[in-house]
Amino acid sequence: MLFLAPVMAVLGAVAVFPIAYSLYISFFSMKLTRPNRTPFVGLKNYTDLLADEAFWGAVWRTVSFSLVSVTAIALIALLVSLLLNQEFRGRRILSTILLVPWAIPYVANALMWKWIYDSSYGALNGLLYQLDFIDKYMVWLGDQDKTLFLIANAFVWKEVPLATILLLVSLKSIPSDIYSAARVDGATVWQRFVHVTLPAMKPGFLLVMIYETMMAIRHFDLFFILTEGGPGSASHVLSWHIYVETFRNLSFGSGAAMSYVLAIATFALSYLFIRTLGRRI
Amino acid sequence: MSDMPITPPVDRIDYRRRQKIGRIVQRLVILISAILLTAYVLAPVSWLVSSAFQTETEIVSIPPHWIPEHPTLRNFEAIFTAGNDEPVTYETRSGTDPAAGDFIPSTAENLLPSMANSLIVATLVVILNLLVGVPAAYAIAKIRFWGRNASVYFILITRVIPDIALVVPFFLVIRKLGMLDTLGSLVITYLAITVPFTVFILIQYFEGLPDELDKAARVDGCSRFQALIKVFLPLSMPSLVAVVLFTFLTSWNEFLLALMFTQTSASQTLPILLASFTSDFTVSFSFLNAAGVLAVVPPVIVAIVFERYIVSGLTAGAVKG
Repeated sequence: MLFLAPVMAVLGAVAVFPIAYSLYISFFSMKLTRPNRTPFVGLKNYTDLLADEAFWGAVWRTVSFSLVSVTAIALIALLVSLLLNQEFRGRRILSTILLVPWAIPYVANALMWKWIYDSSYGALNGLLYQLDFIDKYMVWLGDQDKTLFLIANAFVWKEVPLATILLLVSLKSIPSDIYSAARVDGATVWQRFVHVTLPAMKPGFLLVMIYETMMAIRHFDLFFILTEGGPGSASHVLSWHIYVETFRNLSFGSGAAMSYVLAIATFALSYLFIRTLGRRI
Repeated sequence: MSDMPITPPVDRIDYRRRQKIGRIVQRLVILISAILLTAYVLAPVSWLVSSAFQTETEIVSIPPHWIPEHPTLRNFEAIFTAGNDEPVTYETRSGTDPAAGDFIPSTAENLLPSMANSLIVATLVVILNLLVGVPAAYAIAKIRFWGRNASVYFILITRVIPDIALVVPFFLVIRKLGMLDTLGSLVITYLAITVPFTVFILIQYFEGLPDELDKAARVDGCSRFQALIKVFLPLSMPSLVAVVLFTFLTSWNEFLLALMFTQTSASQTLPILLASFTSDFTVSFSFLNAAGVLAVVPPVIVAIVFERYIVSGLTAGAVKG
């Protein structure tokens, strides 16, 4: 097909080839500090990973970051979409405003939250101080127990709009006579929500969960700007681990192996995503 | 008549009152949630914007000034005049503002060129996306051919490849081609993260257009190509606008790949320059926030102006029902 040729050529060159090449590289010990010797090591990069505690730590932090973020995104987006599904004055303006976080570049988002969390002059400190919740300014991002949550908060803020739009699609698809019927049968607001609204939103939720998990697992920008994996290793997630291994330790072979593990995890997760979207075409 | 049970009117009044109270409560809940949502979305951004208009002296006040008391444009001035006549440095600025830490990085003059770089890359990526995506989407939506389903799944699979998994192979190939630190390296690699989405949205839209259009055009003697250009494209404007917007914003905002492939101001994009400011602890906060505002304004304006197209485009990428 002549019409398909360009897209296949492009995707072959920028997606299939790199992924295949990456698999190939992951079987070699390739260190840029030692450019002339790249011995074949087979699966060693992968077996090393399994024994690497830093890697498992990063995996664990990635999982917790994703769980926290995706749960928060789904819950907030649920509330927001229920609100925007109502008819009231100012609804259009509100849904336009909601696009602001979505449009902001991640780097600017990171810069903004870094400034909000700032330990000397940040808005978070200022606000909590004025409200008497704290009696002295805190080093928010320097607190190992809070860092991951604070980064998740910045991530959630930016991702809620998209999740809301996706959930609104499911909400709008509920025929209003189902509600009338339920009301005639004497169902309370809460019963209507649990038995009519929530089941109808299932596909929307599924899509939001899968998509946002995919985004959370691979997320890099916020970690790079807010904490660089710190303090200690409190925010040392998988994407950051791959970055450090590849571009700071210049170990491309093991970096490729790690990113391959990440890609396969994503594929497993996105199987459902692909199936649902693919069936529609 | 008289012994017929009379419905006590109290019940009806009570029902009406309950309904009325219910409506008021509903209104109140909506109002409060709308205010909360607006605050949640706008408060962080307002703080960024407010800080960008404060002097370095004001920005370090404790507790912070939520609204600048002496709004200033100097931070933006510093960006737009950087590199013009005399370099804006610690010395030249501290002459006018004695506050400590009033430091403008020497790379400030790269800010506008980096915006230009972002613009060039984003524009080229948009054009390539349309050139490659439109025919493919038309073929998949309107032509029955062997391997059609396979093509759909192939495109969907490429859509979920994490960008970070592409970084190592891309880097090695681009280095080998001698393309490190060029805008070309960004344009090529950004295709990987934009084309699958483009094709997907366009397929959805083309499928919604009746097959008869295609047949009628062909009966009138149009080739497939002419049918696409003359009949389908004029009808698919909304989806084309959505594609242009998404592709543009994705390229404009991209960070990871740009971080790997750019080294100097020849190819650094806006996010890269911003990030470099944030990692420098000596950079003045007010300047940093002004730079942040500059990065935020173009995409936000685009999003607000084209809200309708964006929402319908994002919805097309979602699952219906």
